[in-house]
Amino acid sequence: MTLAQALFMGLLQGATELFPVSSLGHSVIIPSLLHWKFKQSDPTFVPFLVLLHLGTAGALLVLYRVQWIAITRGFFTAAVRGRITTGPERLAMLLLTGTIPAGILGVFFETRIKSLFASPYVAAGFLVVNGVLLLGFEQLRRRAERRAALESKPRAEQEQSFSEAERISFVAAALIGACQALAFFPGISRSGVTIGGGLLAGLRHQEAARFSFLLATPVILAAGLVEVPQLFASGVPVVEYLVAAALSGGAAYASARFLLRYFRSGRLDPYGWYCAAAGLLSLGLLALNL
Amino acid sequence: MKSNTLAIGFGILALVFIVVAALYGLGVLQILTSTTSGPHLKHAILFAVLAIASLIAANFTRERAV
Repeated sequence: MTLAQALFMGLLQGATELFPVSSLGHSVIIPSLLHWKFKQSDPTFVPFLVLLHLGTAGALLVLYRVQWIAITRGFFTAAVRGRITTGPERLAMLLLTGTIPAGILGVFFETRIKSLFASPYVAAGFLVVNGVLLLGFEQLRRRAERRAALESKPRAEQEQSFSEAERISFVAAALIGACQALAFFPGISRSGVTIGGGLLAGLRHQEAARFSFLLATPVILAAGLVEVPQLFASGVPVVEYLVAAALSGGAAYASARFLLRYFRSGRLDPYGWYCAAAGLLSLGLLALNL
Repeated sequence: MKSNTLAIGFGILALVFIVVAALYGLGVLQILTSTTSGPHLKHAILFAVLAIASLIAANFTRERAV
């Protein structure tokens, strides 16, 4: 992998990790469309991905630093006391509940599923599925808005009728966490399915995005930290990879800020249409071998 | 739901998870792993987290004197 390719992949990973468009799908499809020759099965590619993920997790930690301090404090307080009394304490326990199914499925099945489906054709197909899922989540949300007689109200007012992340049930948190496993299929977006799950659980769009980003942080961070020893394997261009990771972190931070603002009144639809169109276009280009 | 029986159940579950975490960490247990030798850090961390979660659940479910 050349330096330019590493920087491009860093930027791509950081930008697409939090947008509901599947970073894994893009990182499988785009190098293939550009006829880049580096192999993702190369021993030095795992440390590269590790650093990119650590860059993304670092960006999320910086973005939510105040909340993470409150959540960490709330976690220990509630765990020792055996009772939840504040919002951060409840959020801490919801995040633990959501992380457990994701952790179990990730540890036992992630590598197997990713290796089974790591083909650009499959990724493009799943990208179309991801688009359909996002559009489906929004259809279900519109139905909920109609049931609550909110369709004639302004978007900001519609959103205010839905809930904050701290108020969802523990069962809903566990289900949203389990939804993350769908993202092992390249093309299915982790943030897309968790934001969609949050919408189904009755969260506002912005709150669903916040819960999705908070839920992603420990999983991405833990997965990255466990693989850190691989960085010290011979032949790994650490400096180049670190620069790519910094780019990935910067892009993730900017995209998270954008998305949180966008979801004040925005919907998942544009990302759904993008995924469906990009998936179909990629399938066409791959078939034509252009 | 408050019940000392449930709390004891979670406590026992936590002990089981700690043992499984140790076995994965030492490389003794090889069930559902990608390689068939060596320690499995990811699996060990997962079961350690499950043990902590079980202990928290035990603390949440135990009955308290009012």
